[in-house]
Amino acid sequence: MAGRRATLLQGTLDLLILKALSARALHGLGVSRRIEQITGGTFVVQAGSLFPALHRLEEAGWLTADWQPSENNRRAKYYTLTKAGRRQLGQEAADWNHIALAIARALDA
Amino acid sequence: MGRLFSLWRNLVHRTGVDRDLDEELHSAFELLVDEHVRSGMLWDDARRAARLDLGSRESLKDGVRDARAGAGVDILFQDIRYALRQSRRAPGFTAVAVVTLALGIGANAAIFGVVKSVLLDALPYTEADRLVRVYARFQDGTLDRVPLRAAIVHAIAARQRSFESLVAFDSVRDAVYGSDDFARVVRIAWVEPRFFKTLGVPAALGRTFDDDDRAKGHVPASGAEIGPDTARVVVVSHAAWLGLFAGDPAILGRDIRINGLSRTVIGVLPRDFVAPNGNADFYFAFDLVPALASGAGWLGVVGRLRPGTTQEAAQREIAAISADLARETENARAGLWAMPLRDAMVGSARTPLLVLLASAALVLLIACANLAGGLLSRSLSRRKEFAVRVALGAGRRRLVRQLLTESTVLALAGGATGLLLAQSMLSLLRGLARPVLPVYAELSLDPGAVVVTAVVAVCTGLVFGVVPALSIGRSDARGALRDEARGASEGRRPQRLRGVLVAAQMALCASLLAGAGLLARSLWEMATAPLGFDPAGVLTARVRLPTREYSTLERRARFHEQLTERLRHIGGVDAVAIANKAPTIDPRRDPFSFEGALKDAAPVVYASVSDDYFRTLRIPVREGRTFDASDRGGVPPPAVISESMARRYWPTGRALGSRIRLAGDLVTIIGIVGDVRNDLARSDAEPMAYRTNRQESTQRVAILLRTRGDPLALVKPLQRELAALDRSLPLQDAMTLDAAVGEGLASRRLPVMLMTAFGAVALLLASVGVYGMFAGMAAAREREFGVRMALGSRPSAIAGLMLRQGAGWMAAGLSGGALGMILVVRLLRGWLYGVPPFDLIALGGAVAILVGCGTVALLIPVRRATRVDPLVALRAE
Repeated sequence: MAGRRATLLQGTLDLLILKALSARALHGLGVSRRIEQITGGTFVVQAGSLFPALHRLEEAGWLTADWQPSENNRRAKYYTLTKAGRRQLGQEAADWNHIALAIARALDA
Repeated sequence: MGRLFSLWRNLVHRTGVDRDLDEELHSAFELLVDEHVRSGMLWDDARRAARLDLGSRESLKDGVRDARAGAGVDILFQDIRYALRQSRRAPGFTAVAVVTLALGIGANAAIFGVVKSVLLDALPYTEADRLVRVYARFQDGTLDRVPLRAAIVHAIAARQRSFESLVAFDSVRDAVYGSDDFARVVRIAWVEPRFFKTLGVPAALGRTFDDDDRAKGHVPASGAEIGPDTARVVVVSHAAWLGLFAGDPAILGRDIRINGLSRTVIGVLPRDFVAPNGNADFYFAFDLVPALASGAGWLGVVGRLRPGTTQEAAQREIAAISADLARETENARAGLWAMPLRDAMVGSARTPLLVLLASAALVLLIACANLAGGLLSRSLSRRKEFAVRVALGAGRRRLVRQLLTESTVLALAGGATGLLLAQSMLSLLRGLARPVLPVYAELSLDPGAVVVTAVVAVCTGLVFGVVPALSIGRSDARGALRDEARGASEGRRPQRLRGVLVAAQMALCASLLAGAGLLARSLWEMATAPLGFDPAGVLTARVRLPTREYSTLERRARFHEQLTERLRHIGGVDAVAIANKAPTIDPRRDPFSFEGALKDAAPVVYASVSDDYFRTLRIPVREGRTFDASDRGGVPPPAVISESMARRYWPTGRALGSRIRLAGDLVTIIGIVGDVRNDLARSDAEPMAYRTNRQESTQRVAILLRTRGDPLALVKPLQRELAALDRSLPLQDAMTLDAAVGEGLASRRLPVMLMTAFGAVALLLASVGVYGMFAGMAAAREREFGVRMALGSRPSAIAGLMLRQGAGWMAAGLSGGALGMILVVRLLRGWLYGVPPFDLIALGGAVAILVGCGTVALLIPVRRATRVDPLVALRAE
């Protein structure tokens, strides 16, 4: 567990989840671990935020879920990125880069 | 689709979703424990740590449920609660919206219920679309639903190829059921034996007629009965079976007395049976053959098409037979024609029904425009609320969901109220419309109509309530907030939309009001135009003389005379008249022709009357004299004609003393009397001829008493005198002549009343709508006005600004309304009486009322706009 936790900006969690799932299907815990891993431990997603977000994205049609055996032979619900989800990821990533660039510029000024 | 499914799943299979979530969380828990164990924890510690990581399972589940957009009954209830709170906060808007919807939905559901029962529901016959009605008509267009002569029916039956069966029937007439101690007037109809089989109606009990059942050698032709009544068997209608025999299952084979003769019941008809000639209590089978020589036309004809034959083919064949017969008999004045039985039975109810249906649709459109305007204003005025919520992170989906819920709550409330309204309207109509609608019409609320109108209303609500909110995306949320803060005016688009809605409402309302105005004016003309006689203070009643006891002219004449004599001595009676019919009630037409010119017959209204008839009804004598005691055995018999008949057929004025052939006899014209309007729906008085009841004493007796004081007070003495003369005769339909004449107008009054009601509702809705929209417009520009005032603009300039805008849209609405009026006038042309189609009073009145109401509705917001305090307006919010 990382000692220092960055607060998640509104909308950032969705982006991170979509990104985490872009490589392959993961179960909920897997998503959490993957986010930790790809952000170098900067973001630790609590279950209380993670599961509602997963379900919200599923309702939005960006993820699909199905039950599969996990790596150590337990049943787990795996989430997969849909085509719409992939598009959404591209969109949100572009938006994010745009904003990040603007803020970086603003801070440099 | 997917979203709908997921909403369905979330709402209905909530436990399933919950279980799935439980399993998911449980599996996450197990995975966490595995992870901890792998990192070297003890089993119990790993479990404790995992539980801590996941947090409270219940609050987690709550979080997930909330997150499922479009899901969760909780969110729905939350939205509904919010919607109800919203509606409590704006009770005016809610009340207007609900009432608007209720009126629109209610009026349409009720009227559609009527239209469906009359025009769309199947007739109660087997394969009713194969049934055809055949009529005779005068080729000059004067009469087009004339009954046929027996010989013609016979000729058609012999020549036609289109029908598998073709039967004739008489119109329904009165008869006396029972004997002296229990006499009652019933309705009977004589039909050919195959009548029921042709209609495809089996008996509910027993059987219908066979060919052997017909009364051989007897024909009951109106006014010219041939042979003694030999009908021995009778079929009973369901209503009479219940009413007279208490639904006795052992009725078959029972002997009953009708018209003094014993008959055997062989069958009972099904409950929903309705005859094409109206409802009778008893049916008799007759034999057409003895009547073939009769010159009277008294038969209705209905045929069943052969399978595969079309209505059009049958109509063509009937027309061809008509042409052949005309050539053979050298009579080109009369012809034959056919129409589908349904059209024949719908009759004159079609046009008013369609007009009413159109009116109801207009009311619905106005209601929708109203609702649209209201929701539009509300959504626009809530833009800031939405913008704030978007800025705080609410998704558009969530906002739309909530607006959907609000609109649906409104629509449901309006729909429910509308349903109640439709129910009460229908029960009102059931009472009022009976005499106007075809006999088979069963008025009931149509679920389809309710659903369709509700869907239209809800869709309007959605489009106009949700779309404005949708236009606030994330990006322009800032814009919306900023707009408000800077005190800008509303955008161009909502303004134009509001204007278009105002104009549309005005246009629709103008059309409706014009129609209502025209119909009301023409009803007024009908009711107030001189009748040609004075019905005030006259009592009327009917008696039917049974055929057996009053078989000869002498007996009937004696009865007429004795009754007149007795009635004359009742206190309070000024004059007594007897006729075959009271004026305006079901006038009978007979052909007349000039002496020697046999082929050239034209129909005139015909009545046989007693000497005092003209005095009793105060019909003025113009020339010559009326009947008196000297006319008993005059040869040729005397006749009196009306002014319009004299004018039309003797333009040079030599009518008096001329001889004409009237109802088969050669008669001499001895007098000319004033015109009487027999058909209240016609502006001109039809030509009319009278003969004396001394020579033409009918079985149908209409009694007319001119009284001093209340006519109805004389009903009892009248009954006493009648009983003293013949105990077995029941007195029928005793009422004032005023009431009887009024009944004749009932069929005209109902559509006018309904249309006026629709017009009033439309005016109310449109006024509220116009007010609402201008008020919304003014409110949206309040800050702009404030700025203008602050910059030195005067209130009058602001009023001018709004008035110009309002007047522009109203003018646009009225020019649209002019088009609508032209359509309405076209539709109603045939229904107008004594009013030109482009009647200035009706049309101008409609426009004036509309403009008046519109102006008032406009002035209120204008007044408010000119009183805007710039300081308050700019500082507000």
